[in-house]
Amino acid sequence: MTLVRVDKLAATAGSSILVDGVSFEVVEGEVTALVGASGSGKTTSALALLGEHGDGVRLGGRVEVDSRVVVDSNGVTGEAAAVRGRVVAYMPQHPGSALNPARRIGTTLRELAKLHGGVVDEAIRAAQLPGATLKRFPHQFSGGQRQRVALAQALTCRPKVLVLDEPSTGLDSITRWQLMNELRDLTAAGLGILLLSHDLDLVRALATRVVVLDAGRVIDSGGIDVLPSSPDLPSTGTSAAGQPLLEAMSLSASLRPRGRDVVLRDVVLAVRAGACLGVVGRSGSGKTTLARCLAGLHERHTGRILLDNEPLPVLRNRTSEQTRRVQYVWQEARGSFDERRSVDRQVARTAQRLRGLTSDQAHAEAVATLARLGVAAITAARPPSRLSGGELQRAALARAALANPDVLICDEITTALDDHGTALVLDLLTELKNRGTALIWIGHDLGLVAAVADEVMVLDAGRVVEQGPPATLTTEPHHDLTRRLVTAARIGNPESPPVLTIDPRSEPRR
Amino acid sequence: MRSYAVQRALLAVVQLAVLSVLVFVLTSLLPGDAAELRFTETLTPDQVARLRGELGLDQPAPERFVHWLGNVLRGDLGTSLISGGPVVDIVRNSIGATLVLTVATLAVVVPLAVALGIVMGTRENGRIDRVITSITLALSAIPDFVIAVVLVAIFSLRLGWLPATWVGGNLLASPALLVLPVAVLFGRTVCLLSRQVRAGTINALHAEYVVQARRLGIPRRQLLLRHVLPNAAVPGVQELARTGDTLLGGVLVVEAIFAIPGFATALVDGVETRDITAVQGLTLVLAVAALLINLAADLVCNRLVPRTALLR
Repeated sequence: MTLVRVDKLAATAGSSILVDGVSFEVVEGEVTALVGASGSGKTTSALALLGEHGDGVRLGGRVEVDSRVVVDSNGVTGEAAAVRGRVVAYMPQHPGSALNPARRIGTTLRELAKLHGGVVDEAIRAAQLPGATLKRFPHQFSGGQRQRVALAQALTCRPKVLVLDEPSTGLDSITRWQLMNELRDLTAAGLGILLLSHDLDLVRALATRVVVLDAGRVIDSGGIDVLPSSPDLPSTGTSAAGQPLLEAMSLSASLRPRGRDVVLRDVVLAVRAGACLGVVGRSGSGKTTLARCLAGLHERHTGRILLDNEPLPVLRNRTSEQTRRVQYVWQEARGSFDERRSVDRQVARTAQRLRGLTSDQAHAEAVATLARLGVAAITAARPPSRLSGGELQRAALARAALANPDVLICDEITTALDDHGTALVLDLLTELKNRGTALIWIGHDLGLVAAVADEVMVLDAGRVVEQGPPATLTTEPHHDLTRRLVTAARIGNPESPPVLTIDPRSEPRR
Repeated sequence: MRSYAVQRALLAVVQLAVLSVLVFVLTSLLPGDAAELRFTETLTPDQVARLRGELGLDQPAPERFVHWLGNVLRGDLGTSLISGGPVVDIVRNSIGATLVLTVATLAVVVPLAVALGIVMGTRENGRIDRVITSITLALSAIPDFVIAVVLVAIFSLRLGWLPATWVGGNLLASPALLVLPVAVLFGRTVCLLSRQVRAGTINALHAEYVVQARRLGIPRRQLLLRHVLPNAAVPGVQELARTGDTLLGGVLVVEAIFAIPGFATALVDGVETRDITAVQGLTLVLAVAALLINLAADLVCNRLVPRTALLR
């Protein structure tokens, strides 16, 4: 029996399209998998089953859950509330933070059981939690156990459909194998499962229906045979071979006139459209100076910088088109905003000045971009002093993105963000990349850089000491510094390769 | 939970020790002493010196401290240098009015502030939120004495509905005595407290766990009362402790205007007459009360949201 029928689902925020024409079904006793890189629209599509959407996002198309229409062409219908929990239960990506610190887990489980007619004991058995733990608070569980608790909550609702958002993230291989068996048992009991994952092995083992998403569109659907054979997801950037978009040759920079206090020596780099170059190194290795040279802010440099094979002057000599094409977001977001004007106006200003949009158009686009980065419109309407560091960091990114840049230089822009914020930022960057924007991503956390970049460059004392694809660099580091960065990225997670961990904890600079 | 309570209680003991020293040292620093102030016009310097000896004022400070602390631990706050009566009596006579005033104010303010805070928090930046915010902020911005004078002018003098002072009044016989002082104290406290509850509500509403509870189909009312409120109450309880401290310390302006024989009045009298033992006793009682209130607030917060760790 078909439990969920999604037909041409669309999600739009202002003028940007998050999900476009996504269709899939979830059937009793089977697993449907939504597969795609982060930012491909998996979670947006899945939350539409509950009639949930982000601030400023509009849903369209048609979503039918257990023969109730939850979303139609006018958006979310009144039926959505009746579906939540009782028919569709959603397990978020980080279930640990989804547990209320103020409530014993038994209290919530009993509340849900009463509401939806489930049985607590059955649910905790299915989630493999020991029964004696009902009196505990969430903080008295380990991370893995909290995931079990969240699953128990979902199962207590006795849903017909269970949505699992990246359930295998951060699990070791044994726990992952157990999870796979549990999910098999649940489907055998008649549950329909919607699995969102980029773990293709897990998908292969469980799913009977697969939908491959990319940038909000379905690029393939069918059985597990539509999955790519390589362990990696298709990289969909416009990796058209050809001329690099931005190039720098024998770039050197100094802090004082006439080449004294050299901070950058003979750096050579090239980035193609739709590619991402990661730059890592310790504090003081010249990362920010490199970024400032490319952005035209550091004037004491020698060497050549080319954009589309044409020389790129320093910022004050750039045409407004050149300014639009190369945008720079730097770590000190607070200092880059005017204290007296509201943040959304300042973000919109880029689109007005560099792209000639009207004030209203620019504002609408600013609000939509901010909303997708998790900064609500009411927050953005305040002056910068009322925003948190993380919110300002995202606003600074939105401001640069509104220029529709061809080259975007990001200098440690996730230092103040949590996992969720980082994920939102990476979503936007992925979309920009797919549109052909070249990214230069600067960080000192090799784990995160390796997850974002196609090519990584290691700087030490102003020189490039090693360069290569992230997989090679993290598995076979040659230079001593690279080796140390790889080790550092593995702290707290010694088993897994650092490429998989997105760690937002970075030391604040200076 | 238990270990938190134990840790927190131990901390309170340490605070108490530091506090007793501070109270003693600070009160000793008051310029002049009772002997000098009271009798310089009638007594010769020799006689003043003898009086100091009788009052124990000529002993070195550490000895006086040990002596004082020993008595305090036995429940004896010493003898007033001015009236000659026990300081315990001064405390007893002044604290009643202040306690009644504090309890009455909180009884009015707390339910109202919690309700207002939740209403504002669930309608963040909506019209109702802005209206309530404006009103409470305006109330808290008016100085106590202005409100007091206006209220007395209207309700006591013109309309004659409510008594203007406590002089000759008896609380038990006429609870109406409380109305005007509580009304004056109401404005600021309700504003501070409702702001905190509002902020707590907004934070909890945006928290992942509330979003998840909503996704699991928990209806709005239940969501607010059981999932949001315990978390939202934490900043409120802490603010409540601060409000309690302030009210117990006595609000001098209010006591002065309504002629309430409260704590603040007793304290000011003690300082004016350099009645050091009285000031020490009153300050100590006040400080211990503040300490206990904060201890209670921390324990309540930890019960509400147990993950708050004291020592990491």
